[in-house]
Amino acid sequence: MVRDITLGQFFPGNSILHRMDPRMKIILMLTLIIFIFITFNFFALGLVVATVVVIVGCSGVPVKLFLKSLKAVIFILLFTSVLNLFYGSGTALWHWGFLSITLAGIYFAIFISIRIIELIFISSSLTFTTQPTDLTDAIERLLKPLNHLHISVHEIAMMMTIALRFIPTLLEETDKIMSAQKARGADMESGNIVQRIKAMIPVLVPLFVSAFRRAYELAMAMECRCYRGGEGRTRMKQLHYSKVDFYCLGAVLIIVSGVILCNIFLPAVMR
Amino acid sequence: MNVLETENLRFVYGENTPFEKVAVDNLNISIEKGEFVGIIGHTGSGKSTLVQLFNGLLKPSTGRVLLNDVDIWEKPKEIRKIRFQVGMVFQYPEYQLFEETVYKDISFGPKNMGLSDEEIDKRVRDAAKFVDLKDSLLEKSPFELSGGEKRRAAIAGVLAMDPEVLILDEPTAGLDPMGRDVLLSHIHAYHKTRQNTILLVSHSMEDIARTADRILVMNESKAAMFSNTAEVFSHGKELIEMGLQVPQITRIMMSLREHGYDIKPGILTVEEALQVLLQKIEKEGAAHGS
Amino acid sequence: MEAFIKAEHVSFHYENEDEHQVVQKNVLEDLSLTINKGEFVAILGHNGSGKSTLAKHFNAMFLPSDGKVFVDGIDTSDEEKKYDIRTRVGLVLQNPDNQIVASIVEEDVAFGPENLGVPAEEIRKRVDSALKAVEMYEYRMHAPYKLSGGQKQRVAIAGVIAMEPSCIVLDEPTAMLDPRGRNEVLTTIEKLNREKGITIILITHYMDEAVKADRVVVMDEGKILLDGAPREVFSHVEILKKHRLDVPQATELMHRLKSHGVNINEMPLTASECIKQLEAILK
Repeated sequence: MVRDITLGQFFPGNSILHRMDPRMKIILMLTLIIFIFITFNFFALGLVVATVVVIVGCSGVPVKLFLKSLKAVIFILLFTSVLNLFYGSGTALWHWGFLSITLAGIYFAIFISIRIIELIFISSSLTFTTQPTDLTDAIERLLKPLNHLHISVHEIAMMMTIALRFIPTLLEETDKIMSAQKARGADMESGNIVQRIKAMIPVLVPLFVSAFRRAYELAMAMECRCYRGGEGRTRMKQLHYSKVDFYCLGAVLIIVSGVILCNIFLPAVMR
Repeated sequence: MNVLETENLRFVYGENTPFEKVAVDNLNISIEKGEFVGIIGHTGSGKSTLVQLFNGLLKPSTGRVLLNDVDIWEKPKEIRKIRFQVGMVFQYPEYQLFEETVYKDISFGPKNMGLSDEEIDKRVRDAAKFVDLKDSLLEKSPFELSGGEKRRAAIAGVLAMDPEVLILDEPTAGLDPMGRDVLLSHIHAYHKTRQNTILLVSHSMEDIARTADRILVMNESKAAMFSNTAEVFSHGKELIEMGLQVPQITRIMMSLREHGYDIKPGILTVEEALQVLLQKIEKEGAAHGS
Repeated sequence: MEAFIKAEHVSFHYENEDEHQVVQKNVLEDLSLTINKGEFVAILGHNGSGKSTLAKHFNAMFLPSDGKVFVDGIDTSDEEKKYDIRTRVGLVLQNPDNQIVASIVEEDVAFGPENLGVPAEEIRKRVDSALKAVEMYEYRMHAPYKLSGGQKQRVAIAGVIAMEPSCIVLDEPTAMLDPRGRNEVLTTIEKLNREKGITIILITHYMDEAVKADRVVVMDEGKILLDGAPREVFSHVEILKKHRLDVPQATELMHRLKSHGVNINEMPLTASECIKQLEAILK
């Protein structure tokens, strides 16, 4: 059922990660993600893996949920690692027709799969410990400098806020319309792809009509509440950096320097 | 003869998850052919789940739903056929209109049934007539109709399948008093002509009082009462405890009865109350006169 | 009594393109109405009577094609005063789902004051007191889509209260709610009127809601048909029925008894009034 899709999948708690300022969280997570992709040997990789283990452990979110988030990418994960397995050059360890596995290929496969897993774990730890609204807030504030480039950051953030608010509503509505059309004998579960897409029309048309109606009413409601864009607007929720944020910043800086040092002084197995 | 019957029917949402919720619990009821049954219960009492179990949109967790003595899930692959026999009009059905013309939209159900073109045409026109949609409207886009017309067009889309059992989930929600009266009289007339079984889910006790032969009261996933309309509404106190109401006129007449006046219980309409009161006043007038 | 909203000879029409010809639709016609400070007014009418259009004239969402509307002395056609008017008159719409902007209750309530540029601490105070006023304070951190219809509508009302208006216009706020939700919303608005002295304009087609108001205005075809205290308005049973409106069953019963020659002076509005009168008659 469409209803089962969880969004934002915030997991309430009071861990260090929950208490961090969302802006700092985004910056640090992005930094770590960048450094996952510039690890060239097992020491650097090990350091990042250890960091991710600590992050997952500190998040107060059950490991089961993290593993669940891997489910969505398991296919990509297997596909890319298998592909990379046969990609490397050098002395072949194993032959089968034109396929051959090399040591470099094995390294590639290991690095790629670990990198993907880390990427998923880090981004999940962000979404698990941050309310979606805090995320949009943080993004709005982090992107504020872009205002100078005449990009309306406020509008982007408002769109994200509204999308977050209406996604569950529209999912529920999709469910309802599907039931209503099924009650009229619509068959959405059998047939080939073309037939299935065609079968979705009775759901999509009413859904679009309803989305437009909602948008119209929402715009009216916002105007009634004196919405006039970002100018002169204040916010109830203020974001503040606290001690926790600076400790985490320090920790990440140390890890990052560690990764850089490993990369410089230890032999690279990846390029 | 029973058209619909449930046997230890139970439905649980999100089974084996922390969000598990029993929506229908061990329900055993039977509905006779040709009956007009009102279903009442506050939001979350399980009535919406129940009606979706009746037409196979939801599958029972345990227990069975029997349609003409046959388990509707006997052949799960043919559940679509059940949906043609048990027609369901959802709340705010106008939000499911999608075709280019009203005619095409009404014919969506019959087409899915695989009927011949002549048969479809006949059914569309019959259904439109039942809800009083003029022929000139049939070629219009459904999105050009007025609110009330849209609602009626959507209902016609289900009537056109000529279901043996017709379920209506709050068909009058959001309509003004006139729109409500007109729609209820269409439904009433349809029932009279077709003699089929109708289940009407509603929050409006006045609507139920005017139309239903029997009332099923759902409370906390169970059938709290299932009896004829007058009988159910004479249990005002219990209904109020369940967060439900009684039509105002029934309440007035019940209260007179409680104050010692000889008035029969379960008066449902203003007309009925008027006759009873006029008789009493006349009698008393006669008594005083002599 | 001090006038708060004044509509003077208001007409409103729009052009509708129907099969290649432009048809002018008159929604309001030469309508004049004064609403006093602190009043609880119900505006009744069937769908298409123009009542919703009129409501949107009260906060400058719509401007009259002819005539003038004054809110607290301000002409609504004054473009520069648009937001002054909207902070004085809050509008709550029918579908609670489509007027909640944020995905957390308290952030939605803060939306209005944020738009007005109110400082953060002050917004906090207003949001808390608005949520308390509608009895939704415990739900401040909830996601709106998980609330019941009545709760959502109360959040929407809180969102308006947080702007500290002197008047709230509610456009069929209960049309999509179940009886429990209707009751919650009605109790809330009655309380706001009585305890906070907020002027309430309730647009509805439910007669039992209109009964609770100080004054009932009945609209039809863009004009005012009846205007007066509920008892007075509902005594015109025939006029109401003729214009596709209902009366409470209690009123209808007594009206019909009267037409059968039973001596009845005053029309009852509620069940208990009706019972008392019937007892007096039957004695």
